[in-house]
Amino acid sequence: MSRIARKLRQWSANWFDLPQDIVMDTPRLSMIGNRHIVVENHRGILHFSNDHIRLALVTGELEIYGSELVIRTIWTEEIRIEGFVRDIKYHGTGELT
Amino acid sequence: MKTPPLARVRGYVRVRVRGEKIETFINAAASKQLRVWDVKVTAPRVMEFHVLVSDYFRLRPLLKQTGCRVHVEERFGVPFAMKQVRRRKFFVLGALLFLFGLYMLSSLVWTIDVKGNVRIPTEAVLSAARQQGIYPFQWTFRLRDPDIMSKGMTTQLKGASWIGIHREGTKVSIEVVESITPDAKQLVNPRHLVAKTDAVVTHIIADQGRPVVKQNMRVKKGNVLISGSLGTPDAPLTVAAKGDVRGLVWHEYHIVSPLVSKQKVFTGEQKEITYFVAGDRRLKVSGYGDIPFAQYETLQDESRIKWRELSFPIGWLKEIVMEVHYVSEERSAEEAYKAGLTQARADVIAKNGPKARIQTEKILHQKADNGKVNLKVLFEVEQSIAEELPLVRQFESRSESNSE
Repeated sequence: MSRIARKLRQWSANWFDLPQDIVMDTPRLSMIGNRHIVVENHRGILHFSNDHIRLALVTGELEIYGSELVIRTIWTEEIRIEGFVRDIKYHGTGELT
Repeated sequence: MKTPPLARVRGYVRVRVRGEKIETFINAAASKQLRVWDVKVTAPRVMEFHVLVSDYFRLRPLLKQTGCRVHVEERFGVPFAMKQVRRRKFFVLGALLFLFGLYMLSSLVWTIDVKGNVRIPTEAVLSAARQQGIYPFQWTFRLRDPDIMSKGMTTQLKGASWIGIHREGTKVSIEVVESITPDAKQLVNPRHLVAKTDAVVTHIIADQGRPVVKQNMRVKKGNVLISGSLGTPDAPLTVAAKGDVRGLVWHEYHIVSPLVSKQKVFTGEQKEITYFVAGDRRLKVSGYGDIPFAQYETLQDESRIKWRELSFPIGWLKEIVMEVHYVSEERSAEEAYKAGLTQARADVIAKNGPKARIQTEKILHQKADNGKVNLKVLFEVEQSIAEELPLVRQFESRSESNSE
């Protein structure tokens, strides 16, 4: 996405009062207690094990620590994770606004 | 979405994938839109997940790319069950045979019910039905239209005015309506008609036999009114005398009619007492306390436990205590006298047949004392006075006619 296109999208999102994650590929994270995590706009799995999952985002990555982690479902845009979540880390590059 | 819709019908498998780059494999699967769910890592570099059968075959190129190995752990759903079914051919055959047998047995006529026949024997109805094609173990689909069968049976069965045929599953019920035939004429022995009481004949019509008396003749009890013996003494002929003889008869009535009439009236107040009964003993269950009525009557309703014809000595007894209240009504001597007379008139008509008619009534005596009215009335009633007297045929002595 070119710089101008991104600016235009951001401007239109502000103008129409639309949420950022719809217009841009901003990741959206929802949690239900510490049992479920739904991540939208992910960019694939970098690491997957029983107690540690690393997800790629548009810019940066998301790390989830816990136990008995299971990928309930996975689509190209969305991933649902179940298990006991203990820790979430967001490594952003700071570029995304 | 946990599982794709109709996963069980489409069939799915649990697979175990082993390899160095399982994350790449999962990403590739997701981007190819393969339906993969419940992804679990069981050991380092080993994961298990569920995948639809149709998508399982699309995993192969991905496995080659990422260098992973796959192993099917478990199979679920209809396609795999079908495979098992194919292995157990005879079991399935048996199941189908059972269903077929059930269908065949339920399309047989098992029972035939005949209802409504009194004079026509059931066997006759059944044999007529057999000719129309209704008999046990007949196929129900071979039965013709009920209308046609019932029409055929009606013409076949004498004495049936209508026959209804109705099939309910394996049961055919035949409803018979018998035609009403006039009663056969009663055979009667030769007889005389004689007088029932002393009377004056007012009217005589002989349908059969020889009238002996005439109008306005006085007859005594036992006198022959219409004789059944005809013919000459040499060639006697006896018939059953038949006819209508009416005469005037006197009935004397002594009527006592009280001046104070007492009537029993239910007030509508009632109380229920229930007992549990075992043999001759009873145990009060409900309705404790004194009966709150001064005067009452009780109705008993007992129900015992029954099984078919057996009745057990255990049951319930329900007693209804109804309050009664007596109303006494005083009336004048005139009213009492009238009431007594109407009662007597009704009694005369009731005793002497519906054709009886009161010609005259005479009050012989009338007195009121001790709170009641004493009446003596003579009714002159026109009524039937004929009575049958059988004629005994005498074979030995032909000439001797029997006594009247």
